[in-house]
Amino acid sequence: MDVAETISHHILDHDWGVVLGGVRIPVTTHSVTIFVVSVLLVLGLAWAARKHTSRGGNLVSVLMEEYVSFIRGGIVLPNMGPEGRAMLPYFCTLFLFILCVNLAGMIPQMKTATSNISVTAALALCSGALIVGSGIKFHGVIGFLKGFIPSGTPGWLVPLMFPLEIMSLLIKVCVLAIRLFANMLAGHIALLCLLLLVFIVAELSKVASIGALIPAMVLELFVTCLELLVAFLQAYVFTLLTAIFAGSVIHTH
Amino acid sequence: MEDLLKPDFGVLVLTVCNFLLLVYLLKKFAWGPIIGALEKRENQIAADKQTAADARQSAEQLKQELDKRLAQISDEAAHKMAQAVKAGEMQKEQLLAQAKEQAQRLLEQTKAQIEAEKNKALQEVRREIASISLLAASRVVERQVKDDTADQIIAHVLQEVEDKK
Repeated sequence: MDVAETISHHILDHDWGVVLGGVRIPVTTHSVTIFVVSVLLVLGLAWAARKHTSRGGNLVSVLMEEYVSFIRGGIVLPNMGPEGRAMLPYFCTLFLFILCVNLAGMIPQMKTATSNISVTAALALCSGALIVGSGIKFHGVIGFLKGFIPSGTPGWLVPLMFPLEIMSLLIKVCVLAIRLFANMLAGHIALLCLLLLVFIVAELSKVASIGALIPAMVLELFVTCLELLVAFLQAYVFTLLTAIFAGSVIHTH
Repeated sequence: MEDLLKPDFGVLVLTVCNFLLLVYLLKKFAWGPIIGALEKRENQIAADKQTAADARQSAEQLKQELDKRLAQISDEAAHKMAQAVKAGEMQKEQLLAQAKEQAQRLLEQTKAQIEAEKNKALQEVRREIASISLLAASRVVERQVKDDTADQIIAHVLQEVEDKK
C-alpha cells in the first residue's frame, strides 16, 4: 500500500477538466467547495438579515448581532480603532468564510479547501490588498511608504530599512497563507495517517488490525475534535492577524 | 506529494474573485442591514443615556435649588419667629410697665382722694365741733359773757381739739 499516494489522493485538489473554448476553467473539488460554501453563506445570511428586525428579538437576529459585535469589538476596533469600522463587512465575511471552508471538510463529499495553498494564498492576497489599501487610504501613497521607515532612523540606514520593511510586509502576508494552509493540511494528514494505520496493520496481520482498530478510532475522534478546534482557531487567527497588520499600517508610530 | 505546494493560479484567481464577490454580496444583503440596525440601536441607546444623564443632572440641579430655597425659607421663618418673640417680649414689658404705672397712678389718686375726703371730714368735724361748742358755751354762759371772751374760749377749744387730733 502506497501511503503517500493514498494521502495525496485524499488531500490534493482534483481538476474536473472543464475546458471552454480551449481555455481551462479551474473547476476543481476545492473551487466547487468554495463556491458551494459561498452560495450557502449568501443565501443563509441574506435570509437571516431579512428576518432581522431593528429591535432584534428572534434567535437569528441575536446570533447575527452577537457575531457582528464579536468581530467588531473583539477584532476590528481594538486593533484598527474607529478607522476599521468601514472594513467591518470584510472581516465579518473573512472569519465566517474561512470557518465554513475549514469545516466543510467534515461533511462527506466535500473538501477542506483551506488545505490548498492556492486558496489560502488567494485569501492572503485579499488581506494584503486590504492592508496596503488601508495604509494608502489613511496616509496617501507617500505617507504609506514613509511608514515603512521608523522615525529616528539614521539617513544612511534608510536604503537598508526600506526594502527590509517591504519584505516584512510581504512575509506577513505569506505567513498568513502558509499558517492556515499548514494547520488545516496537518490535521487532515494526521486523520488520514490514523485511518491508514489500521489498513497498514491489516496487511501484516488481520487479527492485529482488529486490535489496532479501537485505539485508531479513539485517536481519530480525538484528532477530529482537535481539528474542529483548529478550524475555529485558524479562522480567528487569520482574521485577527489581518486586523493587526492593517491596524499597524493605519496607526504608524 | 510535491503537488501540495504547487499553486494553481486558476484556483487562486477564481478564489479571489469568488471571495471579493462574496464580500460585496454579504455587505449588501447581510452585514449592511445588520450593522446599520446595530449602530442605529447603539446610537439610540447612547442618545437615551445622554438624555437620562441630562435629566438626572437637571433634577439634581433642581434639588439643589429647592434645598437652597428650603434653607432660605427655614432661615426666614426662624428669623421671623425670633422677631415675633422679641416683639412679644417688648409688648409684654410695655404692658407690664403700663399696668404698673396705672396701678401707681390709681394708688396715688386714691390716696389723694382719701386725703381730700379726710380733710373735708375734718373740716366738717371741726365746724360741727365749733358749732356744738358754740352752742354749748352759749347755753352755759349766755347771760354774762361778752362776744370777744366767747371768741377766745372758742379758739382755745379749737386749739385743744387740734392738739388731740
